[in-house]
Amino acid sequence: MPSVRDVAVRHDLPPLARVVTREDVKAYADVSGDVNPLHQDDDVARAAGFPGIVAHGMFTMGHLAACVSRWAGGPERISRLSAQFRAPVFMGEQIVAGGRVKAVDVERGVALLECWVSVERDGATGWPIKRGEAEVRLDP
Amino acid sequence: MNASVAGKVYPEATFVVEPERVAAFRSVFDETHGVPSTFATAAEFAVMPMIAGDPELDLDFTRVLHGGQEYSFHRPLEASETLIVRSRIGSIRSVGGNAILTIVTELVDASGDVACTARSTLIERGER
Repeated sequence: MPSVRDVAVRHDLPPLARVVTREDVKAYADVSGDVNPLHQDDDVARAAGFPGIVAHGMFTMGHLAACVSRWAGGPERISRLSAQFRAPVFMGEQIVAGGRVKAVDVERGVALLECWVSVERDGATGWPIKRGEAEVRLDP
Repeated sequence: MNASVAGKVYPEATFVVEPERVAAFRSVFDETHGVPSTFATAAEFAVMPMIAGDPELDLDFTRVLHGGQEYSFHRPLEASETLIVRSRIGSIRSVGGNAILTIVTELVDASGDVACTARSTLIERGER
């Protein structure tokens, strides 16, 4: 895991990709308790104007948190995390979480990150999460 | 949605950070250890049905989207601990025909200290 003295501003986190499946989203619904049918029932999702079920925003954010946690050395090192959900994620799509160090506070032993989740769709890049932020505690 | 209920505090709920549930949550995201940050939302859901069904707030959940989420951890959550879940309506505003609601939830530990503050932004889309 990185030391606060070794981390530089503009350092990129290793991106983390995954293909989102129905099974993943169902597993998330079961464990989180968020059983909104928009995420499980195609008819409900179509009535809401989507081509089929969409992943929970929190599924996408959970993936982003995993990307940050992997880099930082564990979830216990994440002291702040925020995201806005800007675009839906459909089944079978690959999402890629990433981040970049925006600032380092050596005194406090923390790094501030900008983080995001992107998806390639119809030849363009979409941003299910853009301008997310994290504060991570690092080793001295 | 009724904008005059900003600041309303909901009755507390108890939430146990069940180790089996944490392990299942970790496996969804391939996390190796600890309590994932977004697991705090499982605790928020201990109160969410009360808010979703609050006649005074009058939220139409069929038109609600999750607009954003924030966590501030004063310390990491620990498996097996019991938390008190304390939620209130942070703000309600109207933007372009949609109503935007923030719910602020504190997860309070056995010593009475806030372990985590979570903020959920919900968007109730306007009727078209």
